[in-house]
Parts: sequence; structure tokens; C-alpha cells
Amino acid sequence: MRKHSVKSAAIVGATLLVVAACGSNKEEGGTAGGSCDTSKGTLTVGVVAPLSGNLSALGIGIKQSAELAVDEANQKCTVKGYKLTVSAQDDEANPAKGAQAATKLSTDPNVVGVVGTLNSSVAQTVQPILRDKKIPQVSPANTNPTLTRGNDFLTAPKRQFDNYFRVCATDDLQGPYAANYLVEKAGKKKIAIITDGKTYGAGLAAELTKQVTKKGGQIVGQETVGEKDTDFSGVIAKVKGLAPEAVYYGGEYPAAGPLSKQMASAGLNVPLMGGDGIFDPKFIELGGKEGDLATSVGAPTESLATAKAFVDAYKKKFGKEDYAAYGAFSYDSTNAIIGALAKTVDGGAWDESKRDAMLTNVGSYSGSGATGEIKFDQYGDSTNKVLTVYSVTSGKWKDVQTGEFTG
Amino acid sequence: MSVLLQQLANGVIQGALIALIALGYTMVYGIIQLINFAHGEVFMVASYGGLATFTLLPDDLKKSPAVALPLMFVGGIVVAVVVAVIMERFAYRPLRNAPRLAPLITALGVSVFLQEAVRVWYPDATSNLPYPKVFPEGGLSFGSVNIAWTGVLLVALSVGLSIILQAYINKSRMGRAMRATAQDPDTAKLMGVNPDRVIVLTFIFGAVLAGVAGVMFGGYLSNINIDMGFQNGIFAFTAAVLGGVGSIRGAVIGAFIIGLIKTLAGQYMPGGTQYDYVWIFVVLILVLVFRPQGLFGEPERVRA
Amino acid sequence: MSTVDTSSGKRSALAPFSKPLAAVGGVLAIVAALLPWVTFSLNDGNWPDKSTLQFFDAPFALTGFRWHVLLLGVLILVAAFAPIPSKGRVVRALGWGLTLVSFVNAAYITVKGGGLGAITALDGAVAFGSIVGLVAGVLAILAGYGIGIEPVGEWKVKVSTPVAYLVLLLSFAAVLYAVAAMLTTGGVGASNPYAGAIFLSFLGFAAGVLGALSGVGFIRWLSALSEQHRVFSVIVLAACALLLPFTDAGNEYWMTVAANIGIYAATAIGLNIVVGLAGLLDLGYVAFMGIGALVAANFSGAATAHFGVTLPFPVAAVIAAVVAGIFGAIVGSPTLRVRGDYLAIVTLAFGEIFTRSAQNNIGGITNGSNAIPGIPPLSLFGAEFNRSVSFGAVKLPAGVLYYILIVLLVAATMAVFANLKFSRIGRAWIAIREDEDAARAMGIRTGKMKILAFLIGAMLAGVAGAVFAHKNGTVSYESFKFLESVTLLAAVILGGMGSIPGAVLGAALLFVLPEKLRDFEDYRLMIFGLALILIMRFRPQGLIPDRHRRAELADEDIGGAPVDEVHGVPKEAKA
Repeated sequence: MRKHSVKSAAIVGATLLVVAACGSNKEEGGTAGGSCDTSKGTLTVGVVAPLSGNLSALGIGIKQSAELAVDEANQKCTVKGYKLTVSAQDDEANPAKGAQAATKLSTDPNVVGVVGTLNSSVAQTVQPILRDKKIPQVSPANTNPTLTRGNDFLTAPKRQFDNYFRVCATDDLQGPYAANYLVEKAGKKKIAIITDGKTYGAGLAAELTKQVTKKGGQIVGQETVGEKDTDFSGVIAKVKGLAPEAVYYGGEYPAAGPLSKQMASAGLNVPLMGGDGIFDPKFIELGGKEGDLATSVGAPTESLATAKAFVDAYKKKFGKEDYAAYGAFSYDSTNAIIGALAKTVDGGAWDESKRDAMLTNVGSYSGSGATGEIKFDQYGDSTNKVLTVYSVTSGKWKDVQTGEFTG
Repeated sequence: MSVLLQQLANGVIQGALIALIALGYTMVYGIIQLINFAHGEVFMVASYGGLATFTLLPDDLKKSPAVALPLMFVGGIVVAVVVAVIMERFAYRPLRNAPRLAPLITALGVSVFLQEAVRVWYPDATSNLPYPKVFPEGGLSFGSVNIAWTGVLLVALSVGLSIILQAYINKSRMGRAMRATAQDPDTAKLMGVNPDRVIVLTFIFGAVLAGVAGVMFGGYLSNINIDMGFQNGIFAFTAAVLGGVGSIRGAVIGAFIIGLIKTLAGQYMPGGTQYDYVWIFVVLILVLVFRPQGLFGEPERVRA
Repeated sequence: MSTVDTSSGKRSALAPFSKPLAAVGGVLAIVAALLPWVTFSLNDGNWPDKSTLQFFDAPFALTGFRWHVLLLGVLILVAAFAPIPSKGRVVRALGWGLTLVSFVNAAYITVKGGGLGAITALDGAVAFGSIVGLVAGVLAILAGYGIGIEPVGEWKVKVSTPVAYLVLLLSFAAVLYAVAAMLTTGGVGASNPYAGAIFLSFLGFAAGVLGALSGVGFIRWLSALSEQHRVFSVIVLAACALLLPFTDAGNEYWMTVAANIGIYAATAIGLNIVVGLAGLLDLGYVAFMGIGALVAANFSGAATAHFGVTLPFPVAAVIAAVVAGIFGAIVGSPTLRVRGDYLAIVTLAFGEIFTRSAQNNIGGITNGSNAIPGIPPLSLFGAEFNRSVSFGAVKLPAGVLYYILIVLLVAATMAVFANLKFSRIGRAWIAIREDEDAARAMGIRTGKMKILAFLIGAMLAGVAGAVFAHKNGTVSYESFKFLESVTLLAAVILGGMGSIPGAVLGAALLFVLPEKLRDFEDYRLMIFGLALILIMRFRPQGLIPDRHRRAELADEDIGGAPVDEVHGVPKEAKA
């Protein structure tokens, strides 16, 4: 036994030696950042996202896109006198861990803002912690309207946290816009709803339901599938019995793609529609069929030079396009924080007394990002209310309608 | 009416899949009284094994299903068997005489480990992966009831393999050794049966069936994810318990019952599909409380 | 420490060389401490403790890991040449410590530096510190084997009560210092890119020193001493826990982490009743915590609470405990008919039903996927628990009141657990765990006892859940999923089933390690799974074994020495 382990250890060791050789990644000419003046020190942009567990693909996309934005700012000397870094904290998609991560960032005097979170439930614990320290939080992915406008977000909106902003569209925008398209433009009056029961999907579906009824359509049935399901035959058979003209799916592409494919093979040949959670090439790869629909925030990316620039830069830095669903939003969130910081510091020095100004500057930030125009309204929501409907046409997402939701 | 027929068909296909996994649970439990919690993950790993085999094939072979499909089955089965044998050898065998809780906790650890290993090391496994389209497309249709060819194949494989397995265990010499070990390991050992061999073989049989199930699962549903093992593993375990753990026939019948409960409860019970799991678990609890030996099992013997 | 066979019987072939080996090892360690460790300034900044390209020059002070390496070297020399008991074990432990410290630093520098060039020679610069350190460590380990691994030293020293009190006080103070040092090492903020390495290196050093102390017999003597003066020890330990906020670790971040650890530790102690004492594996245990949290949230006056009434926290906590307890009894009821592993699946099923129902907002009380946010923090005499407080001139960080509350909660659950364990009920549980039929034959009403275990365990989890709700301010089904149950179970098993401090230690490790080892966060769950397998294989009794349990789980005698070293000797089947 012992001889064996010694031998295998030797083999492993030798392999390591060969692999590692005597190389190094020593960079000539000192640290990155090039010619910028970074004499005043380092400031940190925090990221709170799930970096481990089964949502990590989305979380890592958020983290790396933030790193990209920070790198670019460092290269362009956006914040005079400071070097910027990203500090990414794992929230494990768990509210308690999110609180821990937020506390960690909030006790660091160099943290100027936080990008995150992915999950609305985690945002709920992070918001108050960061508010107490006046640290701006810009979320790339929380779509739950209550986070900004409170429980009665439609009738009596009330700003919840003056440090909380987001660049993504809320459910009460996207859902109704999709409803209008389905009922008025596509003429689908009988709609069945399937959701994954999570905050994003259920919220989206709830807002869609209200608008469909308002426009004279009919919701013929509502079903929930498990977030980890792969077999939807039961749900599909049930929905098929209700003879819908379209199916709206509230959730994300990993389930939506197979659902669409299984619908087709079960003989339910109606279009499947979803929100920006299914607007991803992977949806088609996983079985999304011709004629399926999705809404997404902002104008089509082909018409946005900034979007293409983001994708190219990302690919250059990380080698592949794994920025996932919220990468572009995270990039924009980070840029909002950096932009506001540049204005706040403005050649001076950063200290605790600047935090109020920082919050104001994030609120008044405006710029054109990878997802379109980035600006915040009085509640902290994105003013970018342009939405686009896409449809799967010959194996690709193609935009069919762009506009603003007007009611 | 057509909805009912469609749901019945769906239930039978799901049952066939669950049956293939449940056989692995029931055989292992029958021989060493271990709930091999990680068996569901063997099924999951097999599915990724099949997918990896396809990805590694040269492009011209990818286009011919007659070659690609059997190779995928082989790939999936090989991966499943290797994982199962390693698991038996290094995780379970050292604990064979440990208190009963120990191997169960180990099984839990193996399950978490396998799932995470695939997530971290298999490319892009963090999200669902599409399964190659080498399976027969289309299917039977009776009016508005559709049954995919893959579903038919799944049922045929499941029923066929369980009949072969049953026959092997009843007729062959090794099968007799297995039954002997299940009944009384000490006496079987005295009679010249090598318990280690029997146990490894049991794990291998379970893994082969899980391998077939894994690849068929991908073919039938066209996508796989790392959670499929845990979920279907629980269903399969429930089926094995329902049928009476240790009984081959029981596991298969139990699996079909579970498949039907899932689809029919989703259709007709209050709460709809969002509570379909709950009904399966309710059945599990009721069976355990009122008939712990299951439908076809013998009452639990108290071992000396 | 090591998994190498400790065949104490025969004399090692290394014996004649043991002293020279130890001497060379010790001296090399001291040399390593003075050598540079890195050949160039890494891209993330200089390696800590002035170890980049610097020989030992002014200012003449060693810090961090270099200081640890020096200390280990000196200790090896002292241990090898001073008359101490069980010399071999001590030298071996110190050698392992040295190896770990050197290895951690070498591995990190190699990976961060992009190749072995970083720890050998590059562009004319040399830095062989880590390699010399590794060699020294291995030599010391070999020397340890050469000297011979004898049984752990026995100290026959009897001390008077005041001296014993002093020793205990000092030891616990040292523990407090070590914990604070461990938490703060590598910095709190996000600033230090090498925090993981610093922490692991520190851990290696601490393990070496602890191993040496245990080898020399100090730890055993100390634990006997604290056993003798149990009440005093408990008081000192509690005082130490309450003093943590006054150390370096007393900042808002570590208070939050510590409070979370406390909540999970309290829950883990409850689980330990079910799993550790009664031997019933519960895989859905976190659901009871969820039920407690939901009850507390609904009575908290949060905007989305289902019930219009706002109850004071103690009342809500009691209701939470009762409701969780009722569910515990319901879930436990199949135990009347079902045994062992079947029960595990029933509890798992229950856990899944709980998450599913909570996600679907069953009865309107969970608010589904929107969760129940905005639960007000606890307050006492107008002091909100999440703000910082000041006592006279001392200003304590925010979260300290929660920390104190949770320390008291953990202390209370520990007291409940200890009382139950040594009571008639506890003995009944242990009897059921060992042999249910025999227990029944002895007149124990097994069904009642098993349900009682579930009920009490669930009640403890319910209270912990109520605190959880207020501490975090939101209750979502996402906090109570299957993996959380596995985490809790891992905490119990890692610490030691049935052992009181074990669950706390386990929960602490499972929280602190991921916080400290961000570099490995993607592997967190995988390491979890592997840890469960390895613990069951090599140390089923856990880190702090329960004294009754370790005898039967690991075939060890009460002292912890293996009864039979040889593998493969057939043991009587227990099934």
C-alpha cells in the first residue's frame, strides 16, 4: 500500500513539474493599468452574485462583465488618481449569505458601490445593509418591482431604498408588453401560462395575466413546473387539453428550450413566448422552435454599436462568450457606478463624506451602455423602457417589433 | 378523454424510465441493505457519458445514427459502470460492517460529489445541455394522442431488460449466488460464494441499466442537466419501496405506478402540476407507514 | 494528522538517523525562514511578509508565515533534544506543520506566479525558501518516525484548584486569541488578494502546534482538568465567547458571520439530538427551521405578513417552536413503523414537500417566490440589534447585540442538549440507536421516544429559525432547500455525532472555511461531498468525538487509541 502511494505521488509530482516547467506569468513593466496616475490608491467595486452552486453560470457572467468594465476604466483612466478593482463575493443564491457578503463589502471603506444581486430574495437582505452605509447598489438582474416601488407598486409606488438602482426592466413592463403583442398584434386570445415558480418567472407571468385580461384575451390555464425539471410531458398534455393559441413561459431558457421542443413533439404546435430570460441563443440550441417569441429590454443589439463592442471586448478578455443572461446588464451597472464615481471624485480624493454625493451621482448618471440608454427614474428603476419582441426565424432570434410600453 | 389517454401514455413512459433506475436501487438494497443514494447520480453521469461519447465522435459518424447511437449507449454504460465500481470499491466496501448510518451518509456524500464534479468539470454543464438528435424523430399518433418513438423505445427497453434481468437472477449460477447472498451472506460465503464479486456484479448490473436509462432519457427529452439524477433517483427509490425493496418485479410495477401518479395527479389533483411531486411523496409515506414491506416485498426480517 | 500507518511495535530503520535528521530539519527551517520565497513581484502585488526577493535584512523582524516557519524550526530543535514525553509524535507533528506551511505558500506562489519559476530561479533572481522549507518539513517528519511513535504522553501532574483555574483561564484565553487571529488573518476587507493563502498557511501552522501539544500530552491533561472543573470551564468558555467582540475580530462583518454560525450551530445541535443521540437520519431538517422562520415572519409586522397581528419576539419564538415541534412530531410519526434508512427518505420527502409548498405560497403564508421581506430587526429597550452600541467609552460594532443573543441561544440549546443526553430520555435514545429491539425489550417505549426526539429537535430548529428571520430581515423558501439540510448534517458529522461542542465546531468550520477560502468557492460543494465520504471512511466519530460514541463507532478505546490497528481483521457484523 505505502509503496503504491509513494510511487503515485512521485508520478503526480513529476507530471506537475513537467507541466509547470519553470515558466512564470511575470509581466514586464510592472502592474497593469499602464500609464494612468494611480497615486491616490485603490477603490473597489463590489459584486454580490452566486459564484458557486447551480446559478453560478449567471453569477460568473455578472462578475466577469463587471471586471471587464473596471479594466476598461483603468485603461482609460476614467477615475483620476485611482486604480479600480472588483471584489466579487459569493452569495450562493442564499439571502443569509448575501447579507454576509454585503456586510463584508460595507465594512471596507474603499468600496464605492456594489453590483448585484442576481436573486431578488437576496437583494432584500442586501439593500438595508448597504443603505445604512450609503453604498449605491446597482442590480443587473432583479426584476421584482417591489424592490424599488414597494408592495403596491402599481397603485401607490414609494421608493424603498435610496441607494438601490437597477438597469434591467421590471416584470410590470415586460409582462404587459408581451401581453399586448400576443393579444393585439399576433391575435392570440387564448393563452396558457407555465412558470417555474421563481420570483422572475412568476412575477412576469402575473403581470402578463393582468394585461391579457384587460385587452380582452383569456388565460386558459396556469401551471407551474419545477425549476429543475426536464420532463414536461405531464404539463404539456394538460395544457394541450385546454387548446391554447399560445403558451407564455415565465422562466429562463434552460427549461424553456426543452419545453418548446417537447410541446412540438407532443403535437402542441403553438408558439411559446417568454421574457428576456429565454432570449438567448441557447434557447434555440436546447429546442426552441421556429415562431417562438421573446421580449427583451432595449433596442435590438445589432442596432447598438455599444452592445457589439461589449461582446467583442468580453470575448477578447475571457476567450469565450459566457457572459450569460445578465452580463451586458452587469457591464452597464458597473459603468454607472464608475461614471458616478468619476464625477464624485473629480480630481479630488475619495473619503466617507463623498458617499452622499456618490448616491446622487448614480441617480443622475446617464450613458449609453451595452443594453441601450442607462438612466434611472425617481424610484431607481431604469428609464430605458424600450422593449423589443423577437421571434425565432430560421434558427436565429430576429426582432419583429420595437417600442415602448404605453399601457 | 384524449387528455387522459395522453397522460396515461406519458405516465407509462416515465414509469419505464424510473423502472430502469429503480432496479439498481432494489438489487443493491436486496444484497447489502444499503440505500445507494448516489445511484441516481450514476444515471446522471451516464447521460453525460453518452453525450461526451457523441461529442468525441468524428463528424461523419455523428451523422449516421446507426453507428452513433449504439456507441453512445456503450459510452454511457461504460462511464456508469466505472463510476459505480469505483464507488463500491472505495466508498462502500470499507464501510460494510460499519453502523448503518455510515454508508448512508457516504452515499449522500458521493451523490453531492458526483453532481458537483460534473457541474465543475464537464464543459458548460452549469446549464441544461441539448442532447444530439440521433434518435428516431416523430412518433405514433392516435387522434390527438402522440407517443414519441423514443418513448416507445424506452418502454420496450425497460420491460425487455427487466425480464432478462429477472430471468438471469432466477436461472443463472451467478443469479443463484446473488439470491443466496441476499438471503444469508454468511451461509452463502460458506457455500463458496464470493460476496465481493456478487456485490460488485450487482452494482455493475444496476449501472448498466442506469446507463441505458441515462442515454434514453437524453434521447426522449432532448436535454439533460445535473439535477436529473437527484430527482429521478428519488422517484426511483420511491418506486422501489412501493414495490418492495429487493423485488425486481415489484420495482418495475412500482415504477409504472409512480409514473402514472405523477402525470395523473398533475392533471387531476388540486394544485395541479406544481404539487405532483408532493403526491408521490404522500404515497411513499403512506406505503411506508401502512405496508413497509411494499406491495411485493416480504416483511422485514430481523437479522441476527 | 497523518494517515500513514503508525506501527508502533517495530523500530524504524530511520532510528539511527533520527537526531541528525531532526537537527538538519530544524536548522533548514530556520534558514528557510530567512531566505526569499518569491523570485519576482507577482501580478497581484508582492507576496506578504516581505518574502519577495528579500533576504533577512533590516528591519530585522519576521512576520506572518516566515515567523511561523522560524518558530517551527526552533520548536523542532527543542523537541528533538529536550527530554519530553512522546518525542516522536511531537517532532512529526511539527514537521507536518512545517510541510503544510511551506506547501501552501509554494503552491499558491507557483499558481499565481504561473509556474515553478516563481519559487526557484528566474531572470537571475533566486528564491528557494519554500523548497528548503518543504525539505525541512519532510526531514522532520522522517525524524519523527525515526525517534518512534510512542503513545501520547501521560501527565500525572496534580495541581491545586487555583492553579488549575489559572491554567484553564490561560488556555481558553489562548484559544480566544487563536480564534480571533484565525478570523482576522489575511485581512477582513476584499483588499488582500492572498488572504486564502495566508489563512491556509496559518491553519497549517496552528495544526502543527496543536498536534505537538496533543502529542506531548498537554491537550489530554487539559481536557481532564476541564472535566474536573466543569462548571468553571463552561463559565470561562462562555465568557470567552462573549469577549470575542472585543478582539480584533470584533467588527461588523465577523459579527454577522458569527451570528450566522450561531444560528446554524443551534439548529445543528437540534439535529444532533435526532441523528446523534437517537440515530434517526433526518434529511429534511432545515424545513423545521424554515417553519420557525415563517411563523416568526408572519407575526413580525412585516408588510407582507399574513397575519395582521404583531407579536413581541419572545411570544413569536415560542409559537414558532411549538408549530415546528408539531410538524416534527408529524414527520416523526412514520418512525413508529419505519426504520433507519427508510426514515431518511421520508424526511427527505417531507423537506421537498416543504420547499415546494413554500415556493407555491401555500395558504398565502409564505408569499411564494417573493419571500417575506422587511422583517424588523429585534430591539431591546429601544436599541435596535443591527446598530452599533456603545457602553461608556467602548463602541461595539453593529451586529454585536445579535451576536450576544445568539451566543446565549447556542448556550441554551447546548444546556438543553446536555441535560437531555444525560437524562433518562437521553439514555433511552442512545439505547434505541444501538439496538432498537433490545431497547424495546428493556421496557423503553421506543415509538414515543423517537417522536420525542423529532419534536424536541424540531422545536430547537424552530427557535433558531425565528431568530434567523429577524436577523436576516427576509424569509424565502430559497434558504431552506435540501442542500441546507445536507450542510447541517455535514456540520453534525464533521463535529462528531452526539457530541455537544462538535456541532458548534462543525457549523463554525462550514461557515468560516468558505468565507476564508474564496479561491476554492466553485469547489465548495464538491469538497463537502468528498468530506462526508472521507470522514465516514477515516474518522466516523468526527473531530470532537462523543465519549460514549467513539468507542463503538471507530473501535477505539475511551482514550482514542485504536483497539486494533491491522486492517482486514473481520469484525462482528452489527446489522
